[in-house]
Amino acid sequence: MGLSSTDTSNEAIQLCIFDLRRGQNEGQELDKILFFFPAGLPFSKQLSVIGLSEGLITFTRIFSPEAACEVIEAERNSHVFYEAEPDIWMVMVVEKSNDSEPIYRDDALRKVLKEIHSLFVMFHGSIRAMLEKETGGGLIRRHLHSFIMDYLRDFFVGKKLLLPSFHDCLKERGTVQMLTIGREAAIEVQSLVRVLESSAGNTPCYSLILFQDLLDDTINLFAYAVLRLTPHALSSGASSWSYLRKGNTASNVAAESNLAHPSSFSESFYGPTDVPHAGENQYHVVRPLQHDKWSKGKDGYLVTDIWGAEIGTWTYVTPTVWLRQTEERMYLCAYQHRSLTLILLVPVSSILTGEQGVSMVKRQVIENASLKILKVEEKLTKGWGGENAYHVSGYRYLLVDGDRNVSRTSPAAKVATLTKDSLLAMNKVRQEVELEKSRAKLDNSACEKDLEICIRAKNNAWVIARVTRGKELYMVLEKGNETLLYASDAVEKFSNRYCNGAFSLD
Amino acid sequence: MPSDTSSSISGDDHSDQFIEDQLASVTLAEYNDEPSGSANRQANGVVGGSVNQSAQLEIEERVQSSSVEAEEVGQVRGPAEHAVVWGRTVSELEMDGSSSPGSSGYAGERGSSSATTGSAIDEVVQQEIEEARNDDTVEGISDSQMSWPPGKQHVDEDDASISWRKRKKHFFILSHSGKPIYSRYGDEHKLAGFSATLQAIISFVENGGDRVKLVRAGKHKVVFLVKGPIYLVCISCTEEPYESLSGQLELIYGQMIVILTKSVNRCFEKNPKFDMTPLLGGTDVVFSSLIRSFNRNPATFLHAYTCLPLSYATRQAAGAILQDVADSGVLFAILMCRHKVISLVGAQKASLHPDDMLLLANFIMSSESFRTSESFSPVCLPRYNPLAFLYAYIHYFDNDTYLILLTTSSDAFYHLKDCRIHIEMVLLKSNVLSEVQRSLLDGGMHVEDLPVDPFPRSGSSPHLGQHRLPTDSTERLREPYLGIGGPAGLWHFIYRSIYLDQYVSSELSSPINSPQQQKRLYRAYQKIYASMHDKAIGPHKTQFRRDENYVLLCWVTQDFELYAAFDPLADKALAIKTCNRVCQWVKDFENEIFLLGASPFSW
Repeated sequence: MGLSSTDTSNEAIQLCIFDLRRGQNEGQELDKILFFFPAGLPFSKQLSVIGLSEGLITFTRIFSPEAACEVIEAERNSHVFYEAEPDIWMVMVVEKSNDSEPIYRDDALRKVLKEIHSLFVMFHGSIRAMLEKETGGGLIRRHLHSFIMDYLRDFFVGKKLLLPSFHDCLKERGTVQMLTIGREAAIEVQSLVRVLESSAGNTPCYSLILFQDLLDDTINLFAYAVLRLTPHALSSGASSWSYLRKGNTASNVAAESNLAHPSSFSESFYGPTDVPHAGENQYHVVRPLQHDKWSKGKDGYLVTDIWGAEIGTWTYVTPTVWLRQTEERMYLCAYQHRSLTLILLVPVSSILTGEQGVSMVKRQVIENASLKILKVEEKLTKGWGGENAYHVSGYRYLLVDGDRNVSRTSPAAKVATLTKDSLLAMNKVRQEVELEKSRAKLDNSACEKDLEICIRAKNNAWVIARVTRGKELYMVLEKGNETLLYASDAVEKFSNRYCNGAFSLD
Repeated sequence: MPSDTSSSISGDDHSDQFIEDQLASVTLAEYNDEPSGSANRQANGVVGGSVNQSAQLEIEERVQSSSVEAEEVGQVRGPAEHAVVWGRTVSELEMDGSSSPGSSGYAGERGSSSATTGSAIDEVVQQEIEEARNDDTVEGISDSQMSWPPGKQHVDEDDASISWRKRKKHFFILSHSGKPIYSRYGDEHKLAGFSATLQAIISFVENGGDRVKLVRAGKHKVVFLVKGPIYLVCISCTEEPYESLSGQLELIYGQMIVILTKSVNRCFEKNPKFDMTPLLGGTDVVFSSLIRSFNRNPATFLHAYTCLPLSYATRQAAGAILQDVADSGVLFAILMCRHKVISLVGAQKASLHPDDMLLLANFIMSSESFRTSESFSPVCLPRYNPLAFLYAYIHYFDNDTYLILLTTSSDAFYHLKDCRIHIEMVLLKSNVLSEVQRSLLDGGMHVEDLPVDPFPRSGSSPHLGQHRLPTDSTERLREPYLGIGGPAGLWHFIYRSIYLDQYVSSELSSPINSPQQQKRLYRAYQKIYASMHDKAIGPHKTQFRRDENYVLLCWVTQDFELYAAFDPLADKALAIKTCNRVCQWVKDFENEIFLLGASPFSW
């Protein structure tokens, strides 16, 4: 069964990954391409995108050797660049519906590319490493293909791929949403963490506690957890992300393939070096982003067959992830009690007995901590204000702590009440701030960017950005009165109440 | 950091070629049956090109005439008459016993120094001193051409030189076949390869059915503008936003049209490989001066012009005499002092766009030859009619003040000369020229003088700068002025009247008193201007912006726009109050700082 989608609206978005070190000789240009979406696009067009990207990377290095091409804005398309690894570039091309209306913010799109790459590396290691393992490129292509297609599936609404646009201007990808908890609950959580860490015996262990959806490696784990592990992800996977839906993800796939059998994907893709048709098992591709693959086991731990089963047994292999900071491979164990999800990371090297050892650690943890877990869940549930817990009446805001990669926002439903004009204006302001920030970074200026922008837009909304000491606050006030002092007062009040005065002037 | 960055550009000289190859190989792959885009165009060009052969001739003529300028014209009447004219001017002044040191008497002396007498030498020396003083004080900073060597610098560089690559702001004009036409730095001929690369990028995107506008890399922006067969590119690592840079490219294109008219396009229709450089030969100074003005003259981004502050009566007197000549078949009569308008008058229904004025004034002020003798030169006003030449009679009354008479008739020189003589006589009699010099010395609005009370000071109709004696202004600049700008930390402001198409900008004073600080301030204004006037979502109504350099406040209404810069520590509430006072102040003096009523283009 193939993906029979005939919809071609996907041409509005293209995403490719290429390696500048490959395909240097004429006639071998195809070798550069490691991933292209939509895969059905004729090679000439794929090469055209990559040729332009490569040309501009080289061109911009003439003037800006320290930072090559980041974005091409043309009348109909934007190309957003991200150098994921040295000489390995990801480029996303998005079509603009209307040149003058800035739908997308390149930084928001770049963060999608960044997230794809970080998650990929977390599960599979770096692209370069995989390329070195198998220089033909078949291995990495297959992995990237299944991984990114699984990832992109989340962005499909109907037949359209919806990327972060101005509607999402009060969100920040790549940050963790922290749950604000009372003092008592915090103490409980702390003690739970201590119990968890000690119950793993002598093995060092990291843990992450998530409640509902709220909470460089932490971000990835958080992102993954929110995408696939939390109760919300588990249930929505069952209800709305039915398998049929995946049929829409790729276009022109007659020649392409069946995502369920990724190894058969375009065998003709790069000629004879690639796998033969029957080589189904030549590459075992683990697809951690596959939907509906996690479920709750009897012991409260989440299980999945994504990583396969132990040979000769029925036990599923415990997933492992690779941490960049410690450069270690870790077992990923997720335990769930109602709305509470616990993620335990145990170094692979610390457990010598394989799966058996892992289950022992898991059991040990539950034995020691189950009571605590119950208690913490109860406390958190009691203290949690629901979906609108972070709503501040009259404000639509995004608060980012860049140093801790933590963010907090107005509930999405509340942000959605803003007019398009306000959202576009905020999107534009964010773009301006991004530019200022990246410039300050390149200048290596010792003092961090300190910036205050306060705009009364055409529709009378106040659109405000404050950047100070690594913290950022963005807000839209639609019903404010017209004086600038009103707007700064509103910021001041918010700052004093919710940000410990970080944005207050005195 | 990518490890083999160096490898991809290490062959510095070949990197252009490399990019082209990259693009070309793909082009070839994609368009197998169309080997190159330019071949296509060539075919089209032949079809379209048969229409007009005169265009090129016309332009070539124009180039000759501009390089020889008015000498040709002068020869017709003979140099003797020049001398007579000048002689009379000087003697008249002497008779008047004008005490004004800046009067127009010395004006042409540089040009006619062959007749120098003892007293004339004194005058020349005095004039030079004045010039030097002017440069250091009132207008020196904004009048860029004094402080810069004219023409292009760093001609020896090309794209292989590190110094060239590190220049902060490049401008290029090239033809659609990739031939270089102008480059701000470096020798155009040596940049042929680089130019071809730019062309390859543009046409590559074009072949994909799109049009490239901006490429961003780190601090650098590459901005593209396509105008028919002419491509313009800016590569900049200044912080200026895309909108500003692309507006600057528009102006550069406009400046080219001023010199050549848009009919130059026909040359490309006839021959896509047409080499335009000879047509623009010797006009480097015009472009370099325009480019310098981007960060020195707010008119370049405000799309408005500014007037020299003058008493209402003085400006009226100037306007009246200009009106006289306008009624005698002159399309526009403009009296200017540097880049500021003293008065201007248009024939019925003819209107002059501020951008045209900017480009015309830049064209005149940057060409040394206009200063030395009266000239009659073809010019095109792109906003008025990009396809046709007008003829400009240009005459400097003194070092700063000049008259432009525009006509559609190519043989109106003698008539315009007579007009000028008439105008000059009246201007001298009514002391307009000496008032102009006085205004240059006094300057316009100083933020330090912003009245504290909301109402004009006692006494009927106060004049700008009236309370300050002439010596006062020089003294305050001689000693290091320790002030911190105006009240509430106000450092500078620009007020733009929407209906008048005019702006007034406060004088630059401490702490904005070096060219670098001025440039930084103007770039900050450009940024906030672009942010306020966003095409899709603007214009915004108010904006407050504080960073480590300034507090900027911008206020856009139906009638005016105010841009004000304050100390970064300024108090918000006080700053707002101060802005209101500035608006009131401007209104109180609008008779002196704006050209009111008479102008035909205010509606």
